[in-house]
Amino acid sequence: MEVRRRWIDGDESAGEMLARLSTERPFLLLPPLHRLPLRVGNVVELVGPSPSAKTLILIQAAISCILPKEWNGVHYGGLGRLMVFIDLDCRFDILCLSKMLKHRILEANGLHVETTMEPDDADKQGCDKSPYVDYVEELHALCMRRFLYLRCYDSFEFLATLKTLHYQLKQVEAVQQSSVYLLMIDSIGAFHWVERSSTFSQSRNTNRTSLSLQCVSETVVQDMKKLLLVHPMLVIATKAISLGDRYSAKEVQRKKSFPDSPDSRNITSSTHKLPYREYMPSVWQVMFHEKFFCCIYFLRY
Amino acid sequence: MAPLKSLEQNHPDIDSHFQSFCASHGIFSVEDFLLNDDYVLAALAEQEPNPERLKQGITELLSIIDSQHQPLLNGMELLEDALRNKRVLATGCNGIDLLLEGGLSVGQLTELVGPSSSGKTQVCLQAASSVAKEQMGSVIYLDTCNSFSPQRIARFLDLARDHLLQTVMNNILCHSVFDIFTMFDILHQLELKLRSQRGAQKVHLLIVDSISSLITPILGGSGSQGHALMTSAGFLLKKLADEHNLAILVTNHTVGGEGGIPKPALGETWKSIPHVRLLLSRDRGNNTCSVSIMKHSSLASGKAASFVICG
Repeated sequence: MEVRRRWIDGDESAGEMLARLSTERPFLLLPPLHRLPLRVGNVVELVGPSPSAKTLILIQAAISCILPKEWNGVHYGGLGRLMVFIDLDCRFDILCLSKMLKHRILEANGLHVETTMEPDDADKQGCDKSPYVDYVEELHALCMRRFLYLRCYDSFEFLATLKTLHYQLKQVEAVQQSSVYLLMIDSIGAFHWVERSSTFSQSRNTNRTSLSLQCVSETVVQDMKKLLLVHPMLVIATKAISLGDRYSAKEVQRKKSFPDSPDSRNITSSTHKLPYREYMPSVWQVMFHEKFFCCIYFLRY
Repeated sequence: MAPLKSLEQNHPDIDSHFQSFCASHGIFSVEDFLLNDDYVLAALAEQEPNPERLKQGITELLSIIDSQHQPLLNGMELLEDALRNKRVLATGCNGIDLLLEGGLSVGQLTELVGPSSSGKTQVCLQAASSVAKEQMGSVIYLDTCNSFSPQRIARFLDLARDHLLQTVMNNILCHSVFDIFTMFDILHQLELKLRSQRGAQKVHLLIVDSISSLITPILGGSGSQGHALMTSAGFLLKKLADEHNLAILVTNHTVGGEGGIPKPALGETWKSIPHVRLLLSRDRGNNTCSVSIMKHSSLASGKAASFVICG
């Protein structure tokens, strides 16, 4: 009887569960985006004009993914998993990632030193710095090896990458003995104009699939779906948009009147559509809508 | 990429039988194969009389594709490459070097935006002379508005000894370019040259002054051809920069935007091309230029500095 009663009573309240989950399941994205319930298999699109810190958010998420949850007794709150960054913009700066990763490691350690060590202990740590530096370097190298990077200079390289990524990931996973959790694409519309112009310059008398925008996007979506079947991952893709002059002025005014946005960036839910012109073909739209979801808009004033 | 026929010689699995099978499904080149579903193709091969041979052909094609895209690198490999090859080159303009923490980054595309007579060309000439002198490597200067001036460079160098001046001047190669197709031609030739010759005199810096005057004439109209050429030019420059460790400096003029506020001539689409975007302006009446960061991958935008154009 007692056992049954305990079963009915449950183990914890919703509040307790929430508190437990928030510490157990580390956040991938920076607040306030951490509220999104992201799961493996989801496809997220980050939408914003350039520059609105889209790539920066990707880098922060990457760091959370590659940092371990705990290492040598220090809590880092990461996922400790592999990730792939497909760079279509070809502008990624590895030194930036490295610097920010080091900062996060030092930050985690700094707090650790402050909270658990006696002041004289901390002093000693300061004098005898070299093992400490080695320790940071070791963790830094461990994390950096979990970050996989690939760049593409045109849409065919991108297609070739998607077609063969599965085999390459299998090899890396076997070596590193961990699985890939996250796939990032920065940014999905990079070759849009080149693909669009080849749509018009094609001869249409043969039964050959033409190299049009529609075809390339369809193949990209198809290949990504196949890849996600064999390699379940969370996908985050950025998309640069331009808010037309006509809209931006109006939008800025309206946004500025929001009393509850002390932050310079605003997140709009997907129900509220920003007036930008969608340029990606509908296949891509369907792709991320059917998987889940939401596009996140960034605006910076 | 190659038609399947041309692969036959080095890859015996891609024989005439496989080619005719592919042709019956509209696949004539590697591109066509990329646009098709290889799983579906494998299933179609099953129905043919000799499926094993055909599947070998598909596997062979996939391995060819695998060798054609850029390699998958991990963060440590990237970082090693960055620390070994991706240095910064001082431009010789103190303000810019200070602002960019050393100068132009190798492997990156830096863009100068500014109205007419804001000192864009002067910065380009200064950077050319400084890199040619300090690095003792070559500088390639694509001049689109006949503004290249060897006298100015000699002035910047301020060298007493004649033979040194001659070596430095020999390091700067100037091409006059008046349309984007000539630029593509030169860049492709440069790519071939850089790929074939190793250890010879190294190219450190490529300057395009100004890229906007090549691109703006082809923009506009209803077609997207102009935008496509612009994006391709950007990717070609970035590819050269990264693969051959060059720093690239381009200039972009400004036009009147909304409400008469000047804005960069190459706007929204071009914006995603350069790594670093600097805004130049000059005080009326003197030679003091001010420069501020419009966009940078790791430095805060809005930081500003000023410098004086000497001579």
